[in-house]
Amino acid sequence: MSTLTSPQTIALLVLLFPAAGALLLAGRGWRLPRRFTVIVGPVAVWASFICTLNLFLNKVNADFTYWTWIKSGSLDVPFNLLVDNLSIFMCLVITGVGGLIVTYSVGYMAHEDGPSYARFFAYMDIFIFSMLLLVLAGNFVFLIIGWAMVGLSSYLLIGFWYQRRSAVLAARKAFVMNVIGDAGMILGAFVLFVQFHSVTFQAVFRAISIGPNNGCLECRAVPIADSGSLELAAFLLLVGAVAKSAQLPLHTWLPDAMEGPTPVSALIHAATMVTAGVYLVARMHPIYDVATYAHDAVAIIGAVTALFAATIAIVQTDIKRVLAYSTMSQIGYMFLAVGIGAYSAGLFHLLSHAFFKALLFMAAGNVIHAMHDEQDMRKYGGLWRQLRPTSIMFLVGCLSLVGVIPFVGFFSKEQILGLAFSRPGTLGLVVWGVGALTALLTGFYTGRMWWLAFAGKPSPQRPVEHPHEAPMVMLVPVGILAVLAVVGGFIQTRALGIGPSAVSDFLASSVGSVHWEESTAAVVVGLVTMLVAAGLFVGALRMRPWSASFPWAQRLLERKYYFDEIYNAAFVRPMDAIAGFGDRDIEQPLINGAVMETGIATSASAAGLSLTQSGYFRNYVLVFVGGAVVAVIVILIRASA
Amino acid sequence: MSTLNIGGSQLDTSWFLLLGAVLFTIGAAGVLVRRNPLVILICIELMLNAVNLTLVTFARQLQNIEGQLFALMAMTVAAAEAVVGLAILVDIFHTRDVEDVDDLSELKG
Repeated sequence: MSTLTSPQTIALLVLLFPAAGALLLAGRGWRLPRRFTVIVGPVAVWASFICTLNLFLNKVNADFTYWTWIKSGSLDVPFNLLVDNLSIFMCLVITGVGGLIVTYSVGYMAHEDGPSYARFFAYMDIFIFSMLLLVLAGNFVFLIIGWAMVGLSSYLLIGFWYQRRSAVLAARKAFVMNVIGDAGMILGAFVLFVQFHSVTFQAVFRAISIGPNNGCLECRAVPIADSGSLELAAFLLLVGAVAKSAQLPLHTWLPDAMEGPTPVSALIHAATMVTAGVYLVARMHPIYDVATYAHDAVAIIGAVTALFAATIAIVQTDIKRVLAYSTMSQIGYMFLAVGIGAYSAGLFHLLSHAFFKALLFMAAGNVIHAMHDEQDMRKYGGLWRQLRPTSIMFLVGCLSLVGVIPFVGFFSKEQILGLAFSRPGTLGLVVWGVGALTALLTGFYTGRMWWLAFAGKPSPQRPVEHPHEAPMVMLVPVGILAVLAVVGGFIQTRALGIGPSAVSDFLASSVGSVHWEESTAAVVVGLVTMLVAAGLFVGALRMRPWSASFPWAQRLLERKYYFDEIYNAAFVRPMDAIAGFGDRDIEQPLINGAVMETGIATSASAAGLSLTQSGYFRNYVLVFVGGAVVAVIVILIRASA
Repeated sequence: MSTLNIGGSQLDTSWFLLLGAVLFTIGAAGVLVRRNPLVILICIELMLNAVNLTLVTFARQLQNIEGQLFALMAMTVAAAEAVVGLAILVDIFHTRDVEDVDDLSELKG
């Protein structure tokens, strides 16, 4: 068990490498030369990747319990890691894409001074550790710990440039939104604990599959007695998933999170952290399979968010914000997929999205780097001629996002839409309709972004006349992702009805397989949708002036449907008012006043009493003798009475 | 009224008690009105011995040995008190010349 190469040890090492990297960098690293940071930061992630690869190749599938953390009555919280195909899949994405992005950061963050540079990599390693803990956790307690730590590291990284007020505000917003989700998660875990008296996934899922009465033979046929509680738990967990994955209505933090450095946007706010909600629903699929209302809610939230975010992306001018809204939109697809029960399709889209969105963000990072931190696309123009390698890679990402054959995005998105289309029941058709419309919009806004930034002539407002291409350390990771975005789709070509389905087969042992077949009609419809989307991508340039004829629509979209304003009026300002009232009218006069008055009264009475302390010996003796005389008189009177 | 036999002569008990009371009063008045610390200490001794006299008187009258034991105890305590008091006084005289206990009023509030 305790040998260094046993799967149990390696599973722990997956977690320990990034943790050690973070500790080294945070503890001593910032005082050491830069070279130390450059080595430790990425190597910690790659070492973790190698360990995960080892687990993957050895086909490990186990629930390792290391020690008991808390034992109190019926509450038994072990530290256990659930290493199954789902968590290995997630770990591969996190450490693989994460490793590429951390390597890329070596170049992107090069302008930072020494301590800041080390701080960035320490945060990145903390994030990787938290995310791995989140996906490897085998019980709700450690899931929540990982969940909260991911929120924390996201906060730290969004606010990395803490000298900028906007970054600090964005970080705070993200943190508050995430904590709303954390509260939902914790309550959901409580509900499940009350029902099943266990916090480990396996015990809870086993209890769900055989009913609440610990599987006595007569009860076995009885369906889940308390499906209301399960629905409640599923909805509460969904709150957590929605907050973390920036779905409606807790989405407002993600576009603001683009204040962080671009590698952070790529890693956390595109490839990994925001997909945690998808992972959660997939991991909790035994609950969602039973809690049908909550399950449908997942699909509906996903579909609505996908469309909602895509419409906003049409009018954004900041290149990173376009990508942020497209991230929301694509995660909406994943929610849609796991919501209709096509878990492996959603996770395949998670994988493909991690490839092409990290690619898009890092390529955008190269552009922003070359443009001296200018992010307004209208001020780019004509980059195709001057930044050829970056432009090619960005184009690959765009085509994959749109879903052009044979890029990876086509296969994953088509599979989701196809499965939704052929799902029995109306819900599938409805979400398919929304999803297909979103796919068309995706083609349009991606095309707009591409033509605006890269094609045409250089904008007269461009800050840099002759931009420099990024260094190799930034180009190579982007290149690797570009290759993956091109060929990654061939591991699962089910969208075309032929070829392998490696991802679905791999994940089947964890999340089960889809109960229905994708119909031929779905394939045809999907192909047509994707072709139209590709056409919109090409035609986006000519269609750009559409908004001039609908100024009200443009304003509505530019203000992001006034969500920020509504939240401001509905929550932030009333909260501020209550806090101000409490400070002015309760805290100051009552609480503070009571304390101050007690102090004043004590010191005043002490000043009065201290007058009796004359310091004269005879005074004290006189009082004493007088007291004794009085006492004697009293005794004599009582004795004579 | 009972009498005590002292060396063959009969004396009324109340004389002894009266002497004790007078001595005690003189001592208490001395503590209250005199200012010299040494005199105050002597007055305290006087009070203690007045009490001793009273205790011994009652012990003889009531034929109860406990009174005499108390007197012995009081003497021991008086000795200890004298030691401590004198030691404090000597210590004070080391630093300054005190003729009036009212000068020692630094602890007043």
